[in-house]
Amino acid sequence: MEATGRRRAPLWLRAVHSDHVAGWTLAGPAIFMMALFSIYPVIWSVILSFQRKNLLSGESQWIGWENYEALTKDPIFKTALWNSAKYTALFVPLSIIAGIFVAVAVNRKLRLMAFYRLAVFVTLAISTISTAIMFLWLTEPTYGIINAFLHALHLPEQQFLADTNEALYVIVAMTVWGWLGFVVIIYLAALQGIPQELIEAAQIDGASRWGIFRNVTLPLLGPATFFLVVWLTINALQLFDEIYLTTKGGPLYSTTVIVYYMFVQAFQNFAAGYGAAMAYVLFALILVISIIEFVVGKRLVHYSA
Amino acid sequence: MKRMWLGLVTVFVLLATACGGGGGGGGESTSGGPSGGPVEIVFWHGNTDLALTQMNKLVKEWNAANPNMQVKPVYYGSSDRALTKVETAVASGVYPDIAYLYGSWAANIATSPALLTLNDFIENDPTFNWDDFWPAERFAATVNGKIIGVPALVDNLAIVYNPALFDQANLPYPSPDWTWDDFRAAAKALTDPATKQFGWAYPADASEDTVWHWEAMLWEAGGDILNADNTEAVFNSPQGVQALTVLQDMATVDHSIYIDTTNSKIQDVFNAGKIGMLVTGPWDLPGFKNVDYGVQIMPSFPGGDHETISGPDNWVLFNNGPDRAKAAFEFIKWYTDPEQDIQNALYTATLPIRQSELDVAGYQTFLDKYPGIQTFVENEQNALKARPVTPKYPMVSEALGQAIVSVLLGKADAQTALDQAAQAANAALAAP
Repeated sequence: MEATGRRRAPLWLRAVHSDHVAGWTLAGPAIFMMALFSIYPVIWSVILSFQRKNLLSGESQWIGWENYEALTKDPIFKTALWNSAKYTALFVPLSIIAGIFVAVAVNRKLRLMAFYRLAVFVTLAISTISTAIMFLWLTEPTYGIINAFLHALHLPEQQFLADTNEALYVIVAMTVWGWLGFVVIIYLAALQGIPQELIEAAQIDGASRWGIFRNVTLPLLGPATFFLVVWLTINALQLFDEIYLTTKGGPLYSTTVIVYYMFVQAFQNFAAGYGAAMAYVLFALILVISIIEFVVGKRLVHYSA
Repeated sequence: MKRMWLGLVTVFVLLATACGGGGGGGGESTSGGPSGGPVEIVFWHGNTDLALTQMNKLVKEWNAANPNMQVKPVYYGSSDRALTKVETAVASGVYPDIAYLYGSWAANIATSPALLTLNDFIENDPTFNWDDFWPAERFAATVNGKIIGVPALVDNLAIVYNPALFDQANLPYPSPDWTWDDFRAAAKALTDPATKQFGWAYPADASEDTVWHWEAMLWEAGGDILNADNTEAVFNSPQGVQALTVLQDMATVDHSIYIDTTNSKIQDVFNAGKIGMLVTGPWDLPGFKNVDYGVQIMPSFPGGDHETISGPDNWVLFNNGPDRAKAAFEFIKWYTDPEQDIQNALYTATLPIRQSELDVAGYQTFLDKYPGIQTFVENEQNALKARPVTPKYPMVSEALGQAIVSVLLGKADAQTALDQAAQAANAALAAP
């Protein structure tokens, strides 16, 4: 070695001064908190799903796959799965379609547009309990406004949340309305990111308004749509608040969804292990559906450079 | 060198804030040193508005007189969700000294290792007077001989009616010897689709609210919910069918019931003058400001009696060491003493929890303030039976709730619905 007068620092000192260590030390606390509040409960929950545990008494008993086996034989769980599937299959497409439609409408330069945008976004700001109470009274079979309108139009009045065939659809309507603001914000941002030159080029080429929309706008909204489909699906499968605040899974289990049934089992029937097993089935379901969405998305979505 | 120190300092600061922030939550202090030192008792409650003001007044009075045993009230949100919060607290190892918990959870709370059983405390205290509490309360607070709480609240169900609507229809008011046939006839006469008026209203969200209204009717017919050792459902007896058929007929034939499947509107609709009769408890009375209501005991079935159902709740004590346990017991004994409880009753329209309260000054003020509440107090003597004290009761209740709602909605007849519910209940009772 040349006699430069400087010796290379020992390995440990170099390691401590490196970027890696600095980076990890700074990120450490956040990772620690995330691990504590996310990973630890996730692991505890999977262990719980193999036990029979009463949260109050603290006693637990290892029963292996029994909880999962019981799930396959539980008719109410099957109803919950079916209701969640129905709900998601309606909620996601309706939200997306309504969202695009409203976003395009609000993307124009008209008078009072700021007010219209505010009106759309405000549904996002309203708390779930307020929305629930509002819809409970709107759809009240005897005294509600919606039935009053139907009556005035000589249409048959409906039972809405009191009808086993209609309740879930009312919840769909309520949640599509509630989430509209969120979907519109995303789409509005995406629409405003579409370069005007592309639209103008298509117009010069003689494309119709609908043609422009279908061949230019929609594909460029691909990434936003993809994000929303994945996000809304996950949220739809985890539906709980609105059910708890309105129908409590009824009437007669017609609005019982997976998370609501999980809550009933774990906290009202004291079968925490059973609830945990349900949570993991839901997790597997969401994972599979998300993977499918990603695979399909990769093929259909074009990201601009 | 600087980067390393920056990193370490940041980590230290963040961890310190995280630990400090995390530890302070929940309000469970662990003060209370060796015996003789001042103790702080954590007191979980669900009181709001007037009840809260009243409770705070009493707590302040106690704290001023007992510097060694300070009480710290903590609002835990809605009482409906108290059990979940207590479950979480017990599981985490940091829990309160006293918590207000529904009586229907007694059997499950009895299994908690953190529970403070009160038998010794009560036996060693000659002035406590356990028998002064109403029988229904003592039953709801005792699980297999263990006293798991001090009664906090007692109520029962009776008819609350709108006399103005009766007058309009030229009907005599409900009388103490009404049968369910009389009730049904009155409800039918009070129902008018044109004015959207109903004779009766029933909470139909398949919750315990749905079930306990019907259980009173079951007992009035002479039936029972479970057998003597809580191993089998017996509510699908002829008496049960008789009780449920009344609901079926009123709902599907007369259409005289306002069936609220979301259980959120009945009080408002009654207060708007659209319902002739409710079967409800004293807690609703302060909310009926627009109706000059009347109160009457529940009807009976021929050959049965005018039994009612009572829903006592408890102050449950948890074990945080002998000093805090003793302080908690002393406080709750004082809090449920007639002198203090009559003040609570005055503010919250709850019934006196001790029989001796009927002789206390202030009882007459209580009666004057809440017209009709005397009927509820006297009705407490009609609370002869209580719901089974078993950890499986929530599942029995669930089965019954679905059965009752399916009958109300016209999806099943009484016998089939009850048989199916009995099947489900038996399966739940048999499972470990």
